Amino acid sequence: MKRKVSSVLLNGILLILGIVTVYPFFWMLSSSFKQNKEIMALHQKFLPQEFILSNYESMNAHFNFLRFFANSLFITVVVTLLVIYTSTLCGFVLSKYKFKGREFLFSVVLSTMMIPWCVTIIPKYSMIQSFGWMNSYKALIIPAMFSGFGIFMMKQHIASLPDEILEAARIDGANEFYIFHRIIMPMAKNGISSIAIFQFLWTWEDFLWPYLVINDQEKQLLAVGLKMFNGQYSTDYGALFAATAISILPVLLIYLFFQKQFIAGIASSAVKG
Amino acid sequence: MKKKWIAAMMAAAIAFTGLAGCGSKDSNGGGQGGNSEDSPKVEAPTEPFGDTVKYDPSVEINEGKDITVELWEWGSDDLFQQIIDGYTAMHPNVTIKLVNNPWEDYWTKLPLALDGANGPALFNVHNSYHENLINYLAPLEIPVEDLEADFTGVAAHLIDDKVYYIDYGMMTGTVYYNKDMWETAGLTDADIPKTWDQMREVAKKLTIREGDSLVQAGLNFNDDFHQNYLLGLNYQLGENLFQEDGKTPNVNSESMKKVMQMLVDMYETDGVGSKDFGEKGSDSFGQGQSAMVIQWGHYYNTLNTTWSDINFGVFEIPTFDENPYAYNRYNGESTFGINKNAPADQQAVAQDFVKYFLANDDAQIAFNLAMSTFPAKKSLADDPKILENPSLAVLSEHIDHYIWPGPMPSTVETSLKKAGQDIFFNGVDIDTALNAAQEEIIRDMKSSAFVSVENLYEFAEK
Amino acid sequence: MFKKSSPLQSKSEIILRNIVVAAMVVFFMLFLIIPIGIAFAGSFHEWNPLSGTYRFLGFENYKEVFTSALFGKSMLNTLIFSVVVIIFRVGLGLGIAYAIYSSLVKYKSFFRAVYYMPVVTPMVAVAFVWKFMYNPQIGTINQIFGLDVNWLMNPKTALIAVIIMTIWKDFGYAVVMFMAGLYSLPSDALEAANVDGASAWQTFRYITFPLLKPMTLFVVITSIISYIQAYVQILIMTEGGPGTATYLASYIIYDEAFVKYNFGYASALSFVLFIITAVFTWLSFRVSGKEE
Repeated sequence: MKRKVSSVLLNGILLILGIVTVYPFFWMLSSSFKQNKEIMALHQKFLPQEFILSNYESMNAHFNFLRFFANSLFITVVVTLLVIYTSTLCGFVLSKYKFKGREFLFSVVLSTMMIPWCVTIIPKYSMIQSFGWMNSYKALIIPAMFSGFGIFMMKQHIASLPDEILEAARIDGANEFYIFHRIIMPMAKNGISSIAIFQFLWTWEDFLWPYLVINDQEKQLLAVGLKMFNGQYSTDYGALFAATAISILPVLLIYLFFQKQFIAGIASSAVKG
Repeated sequence: MKKKWIAAMMAAAIAFTGLAGCGSKDSNGGGQGGNSEDSPKVEAPTEPFGDTVKYDPSVEINEGKDITVELWEWGSDDLFQQIIDGYTAMHPNVTIKLVNNPWEDYWTKLPLALDGANGPALFNVHNSYHENLINYLAPLEIPVEDLEADFTGVAAHLIDDKVYYIDYGMMTGTVYYNKDMWETAGLTDADIPKTWDQMREVAKKLTIREGDSLVQAGLNFNDDFHQNYLLGLNYQLGENLFQEDGKTPNVNSESMKKVMQMLVDMYETDGVGSKDFGEKGSDSFGQGQSAMVIQWGHYYNTLNTTWSDINFGVFEIPTFDENPYAYNRYNGESTFGINKNAPADQQAVAQDFVKYFLANDDAQIAFNLAMSTFPAKKSLADDPKILENPSLAVLSEHIDHYIWPGPMPSTVETSLKKAGQDIFFNGVDIDTALNAAQEEIIRDMKSSAFVSVENLYEFAEK
Repeated sequence: MFKKSSPLQSKSEIILRNIVVAAMVVFFMLFLIIPIGIAFAGSFHEWNPLSGTYRFLGFENYKEVFTSALFGKSMLNTLIFSVVVIIFRVGLGLGIAYAIYSSLVKYKSFFRAVYYMPVVTPMVAVAFVWKFMYNPQIGTINQIFGLDVNWLMNPKTALIAVIIMTIWKDFGYAVVMFMAGLYSLPSDALEAANVDGASAWQTFRYITFPLLKPMTLFVVITSIISYIQAYVQILIMTEGGPGTATYLASYIIYDEAFVKYNFGYASALSFVLFIITAVFTWLSFRVSGKEE
């Protein structure tokens, strides 16, 4: 009996917390279907009095918002795939190979996680200018290719994979490239899922760097685009909410589908701390 | 299985956005314009036109050879396209490509673009970003005397006897009032205030409370009091924003303190509004929550688009004694800049385009009406189309008694905004807050080349 | 140590290892070490990219950092902000994770997804939505709770408002992390406790929580690093206001670097912040009794 009561109580609390958590989303979604006048009206109602789709149309009229969405999707997918690959590769080398300077290299990589963006962003910006990469996707992709966090997680994760399989493969005559691509990568699926979700999110929501290096509206990314709704004299809230609703979708979907692997990946990396 | 499904969805998403991207090119305002196939055929003038600055359509540009230049701007595609079409009708060999960037973006991108070799030859200028742009501007080739003959306020833009851009219009603040609330409070046109004391009385009549809480503010200056009151009313009291040397700010002057005190009194003594009521004066007026606001010219357009339900009227800003040194600050909306790093032939087209813009009355009127600015072109001061706009009509009588301090660095505004917030919200007293603002502006302007042009005001005390 | 099962490293291992290590070294040198060097040098100069100034100043920038009342205030704000958010993030995260983990709760995946939703939303978007929700006349918060508080403009509530929004956005991350940690706990330890007749609370306090220490440490450290650098919420919601009541350290840096173009001073601020981050990270390790 006591268990039943505790169960109901606990579930209830979690549910309430859940509602509090998602309420802003529903409110924003509902507002995206309201006219600006209604959004700014003194007497607010949750549901739109007049259901309109024009915010979704006009969000694309101000600036080519769907273009931003497509650009962000492209960059985020490319960077995520690259980071997955390099992190797993470096994680593999750092955990399964023994060589001089391995610990030193790893601690350098680890410490880079601690560096605030403000320290490196200005010089990186000057560098990109002098390389002539301004306004090019090179500036977004190349400096993001390696991730200290990714390498860290994958090293921890791969370290927990049994050596015996690798040894067996080596004895069978497999070379290291084969071992990495055919054995390590499939076995590291969970770790990869975790990195994928983190990296996808970070790249998707990154604001300052694309803002600085991308000039052309045609190439601009989503997070920067959202801020553009703040015009010179006023903010178009309806269009902003519509845009926000759209910008949440991809990461949300990816997370929902890869949840299990994501958590398992974190779990195995976390054990070693 | 699941993964395949995801992959398929992502592919579909990318395909969808790709298609949508193609489809919306026609309806969106961003990206390139410059294609005038759809717009009606424009009549090209054949005779020279203009006042002192004349434009002769028969002179060939670029020896008749094809040439393309870019024109960067931040928000009024149709407006610019109009002028472009007028120009290219006379010179079909010229193509002017319009490139739009939203306001905030524009000011990061433009200086960077101008730094390179492929920057736009023509770009829209706003004098608040003068310091970022001045190193890239080519001087106008039109003789300064001619400009001064046709336009007001040219002298303020002289740098070493050269002019890099002038104003096509002047934007300043006026009072917007809600006519329905006015009527309900029993007020008539005769009650339109000319002095601040009268203004405060009227505001009190327009304030409505239910018990202790404010329901309708008589006057709301939240969020923009620094731009619309602090940086302007000091002129009414005869003090400038900068000291004699033109470089040191003067924001802790007696006049500024008096103005700030008046604002505090309005909210706290008169009770005509509240710092907590109506986050932004401009929104609050539009929402029908506040009866009066002081706003600058662009607000006229905002009212007609976003807040079309409000029945509003406009009157000129009140003064302390009906005989002010100047009525208010104005800011010039600037003519286009010419990129001095662009190839010579592009620059030549740019120079010609600017001359066309200045000489063409229709272009001048179109721009001024679109931005709700008072034309700087002297011959247009009593143009009936201009006077149809109520926020401009109220300015025509005293427009020559408005002052431009020059392209002030943004720190002047932000520091005063912080000072005001400190006074209203953080309990800081007026003297301390204004002194702090003074210090901050001095610090931020350490390496600034700005010199105030307040001494070039027509009625400046010599 | 070195396994004797394979006497020599194979050729392909040597090649792979060298390529990867070289790539890592080049990358981190180019995009991290060298920029840090440039920023460090720049912090001793008056450096304005727009006007092209790069003038040696000695320690003047650093002197200004340490005598700046604004910086001091912002550090205090950052401290308060970080501590409060981290306490709630860890507390809520752990509590909720444990609740979901316990057999009393069904629909684990559902809850896990729901709480994580704010985490996967871009900060820019969240800040705009919450700014609107905090509007004193028409915002959801005042409407639902029947309040009349000017959240973002009242100095007493402004920072709290930003803190609440940040907690909302970030607690899901801790929930997920702690759930992962809980699921990887050795089940025999918990079973032993059960057999010994320990109460739920005792089990939690003496077994579960200590076992979760590495995960807690990880969450705390990544939180410290991330909150010392936080500025987007401030940029969008308060711009540091009212007055300077909600200035955070990274917001000053953003303002100095990309609004005022004082790259030199901004770099000096960044380095000071970097040192502070390192100190707090190290302190966290010490407090948890672990060495890196």
